[in-house]
Amino acid sequence: MKEAPMHNRVFSVLGLFDSAQHLMDAVPFVKSKASGRLEAYTPYPVHGIEKVIQQRKSPLAGMVFIMGAIGAISGLALELWTSGIDYPLTTAAKPFLSWEAFVPIMFEVTVLFACFTAGLGMLLLLNRLPFFRHPMLRTRSMPLITKNKFALAIEADGQLLDVDATVKVLLEAGAESTEVVAEPEVPGLLSPKFFFRAFLSIAIVCITAGYITYWGIKLFPVSVPMRHMLNQPRLGPQQQSSFFKDGFGMRMPVAGTVARGHLPYAIEDQNDAGVLANPLPRTEEVLKKGRQNFSIFCSVCHGILGDGKTSLTAAYGAKPANLDSQTFRDYEDGKIYHVIVAGKNSMPSYAAELTEDERWSVIHYVRALQRAYDAKDEDIPKENPR
Amino acid sequence: MKPETVPLAERMIPANLQASPITDGPVSLVSLDDQVLAHVDRKPPAAWFLAFAVTSTVMLIGFALIGYTISTGIGVWGNNIPVAWGFDIINFVFWVGIGHAGTLISAILLLFRARWRNAISRFAEAMTIFAVLCAVLFPLIHVGRPWLGFWLMPYPNQRGIWPNFRSPLIWDVFAVSTYFAVSLLFWYLGLVPDLASLRDRTKQKLRKFIYQTLCFGWRGSSSHWRHFEKAYTILAGLATGLVLSVHSVVSFDFAVSLVPGWHMTIFPPYFVVGAIFAGFAMVVLVLSLVRKTMRLENLITMYHLDVMNKVILTCSCLMGYAYLMEGFTAWYSMNDSIHHTFKQYIAGTYAWAGWLTIACNILIPQLLWFKKSRRSYAVMIFVALSVTIGMWLERFVIIVSSLHQDFLVSSWRVYVPTPVDIGILLGTFGLFFTLVLLFARVLPVIATTEMKIVLPGSQPRHEGGSHA
Repeated sequence: MKEAPMHNRVFSVLGLFDSAQHLMDAVPFVKSKASGRLEAYTPYPVHGIEKVIQQRKSPLAGMVFIMGAIGAISGLALELWTSGIDYPLTTAAKPFLSWEAFVPIMFEVTVLFACFTAGLGMLLLLNRLPFFRHPMLRTRSMPLITKNKFALAIEADGQLLDVDATVKVLLEAGAESTEVVAEPEVPGLLSPKFFFRAFLSIAIVCITAGYITYWGIKLFPVSVPMRHMLNQPRLGPQQQSSFFKDGFGMRMPVAGTVARGHLPYAIEDQNDAGVLANPLPRTEEVLKKGRQNFSIFCSVCHGILGDGKTSLTAAYGAKPANLDSQTFRDYEDGKIYHVIVAGKNSMPSYAAELTEDERWSVIHYVRALQRAYDAKDEDIPKENPR
Repeated sequence: MKPETVPLAERMIPANLQASPITDGPVSLVSLDDQVLAHVDRKPPAAWFLAFAVTSTVMLIGFALIGYTISTGIGVWGNNIPVAWGFDIINFVFWVGIGHAGTLISAILLLFRARWRNAISRFAEAMTIFAVLCAVLFPLIHVGRPWLGFWLMPYPNQRGIWPNFRSPLIWDVFAVSTYFAVSLLFWYLGLVPDLASLRDRTKQKLRKFIYQTLCFGWRGSSSHWRHFEKAYTILAGLATGLVLSVHSVVSFDFAVSLVPGWHMTIFPPYFVVGAIFAGFAMVVLVLSLVRKTMRLENLITMYHLDVMNKVILTCSCLMGYAYLMEGFTAWYSMNDSIHHTFKQYIAGTYAWAGWLTIACNILIPQLLWFKKSRRSYAVMIFVALSVTIGMWLERFVIIVSSLHQDFLVSSWRVYVPTPVDIGILLGTFGLFFTLVLLFARVLPVIATTEMKIVLPGSQPRHEGGSHA
């Protein structure tokens, strides 16, 4: 056989039969006489026809089995991992990897995977649908085939088909009528027309979606159907209370009580505070903590080096202390502590911001700053650590 | 039927033992198409519009009440503590159960090669999908914030938590959503060849385009049919396991808990049978109306209704056994709480519901022992209605009667549904029948392709072997 020319190619020759029996009877005869690939078109599945025209068995069952197994394993793995490993959840005193309780969902996932493999695998993979350009769909025999006629097609399958001889064979086999199906001119997938259509449809979809979203939001403002417990009959910070006589929403602690983690600070005069000693060791950890808190709370006014060169604007009237000066170098730790707790001049108390340990760690750091400000030669490390 | 088209083996069977013909009178491939597929092009009669107006009004009232529930809160329902599950779960179980008949007909009977199923499978499958749609509404509303329903699905989230996979409620989510997806797939695959027939019948360009798209360009080649039939059989096998699992999982919602009256091993089979029972009653109810109004008496014959009524009778007897077994379990448990709960079923506040359940589900269906009543419209509609009511009441008894008096005497409370509860229940009936009516207009109500397979003479002879 030689290659057919591109145009006026014949795709197949159809013979129409009036019953499944006649179709079946015709197959062996046509097979022996005509060359080309055989295919039957029937209104409903005719049992046994695939054996007669020797089509291979459907591989669907194997596909379904594999996908079902994957579904079972992934379902079980998901359950074991999520409720046993990623977020171990204790329910009804069951062990974390209680596989028995996971069987129902494992089963459902298996069925889901298997069913969609069977359905969509059949339709999309094995049958290669949707396929709207198939030459059969344009024939005048197609409406008869979906109704009550049984067609036997001899397909050219890329070869040259002897149309007249094939028609004769089909008629001899008992066909009521025949039809020659022309090979359609295959439009190139990458033709300009295709690109234009694709571009146009994407543009239409984008513009429509955009307009719908725009008007949807404009016409129906996003409303919260349920206030998600936002609406609560409690007072927020700084809100006035109509319940208490003094009108404050927040309450003072009961007289004589001490809050957890807080020691009362009884010293009133700064000069008396000198007796307090820094309880923290001078370790790197403490200094780090001190530096952090100093940077957050102190450096705004006292400067990042503690030299009193504030990062505030000139509009700030007060003159923050230069912690590196001799006065403060001579201060005992306790006196600095007192200032942090009680404040001094324009400086407010920082008792609320800093815990006791944090205050003492800041003092360690201030000492480090003081030493660095007035560093001596012996403070420089002898060897370069590098 | 021409004698030579009947296989030899069947000709040797005595006449009274042979399978009844599946159609009344001769039906050819052409007349079948003309009868079934032409409905789609015809303008519906006035009665259809009237029915549609009624059902869609009821449906919209139901939707409005659902809107009221969501915007106001679950407090508009009659639920209380201890009856935290009321109409919502009753209706959920009821509608999921209705769906089961469709899968039984389409899947299990296909595996059993019951040829009579082919005429009713399409309608029953459609009813499955609509019933499951009605069912999933209820848990979704009951969560209170349906827009957060996706939290039920396992997905990585910023909260770092997952659903509790040891909870039967999450099993339910998976079972019902899988059931819905698979039913839809099964139904749609069956529709594909029929849509191709519709495509080739219509002259209108737009309709042709729509049908062509919907049927994926189906062309009925034998290389496609062999995959199609394989897929259909595999799906039937899987759906059989699925349908049995779905109502078992629904019953686990109850059986896995420790509530007396619920904590029983008989629950899964008992629920599955009950589901098929209620579902077949609904199928009989709808099909007896459909065959009359759509003039399909020769395709959905009295034989079909007769067989379905036999299934109903069988299920009724099985339900009777289950009810007796509930009593036996209660007695044999020697447990005061279970004794108490069982006494509530038959002598408590809701004893009327208990006895009505027994009357509707066990006593009235016994009429179907007689062939005359199995083939009488009046009797079968009466029985189907009573089973529908009875099966709904059964769930009412199981849920409300068991819950309203729990272990703690101080918390005992009587449950009374509110008009909103009842309105939403009726609304789902509206939704169901609206969808049924729409389906009957726009799609072929009988699977013509499947019918063609079993029409006499449609398959080639097999010398010396059957094609089982």
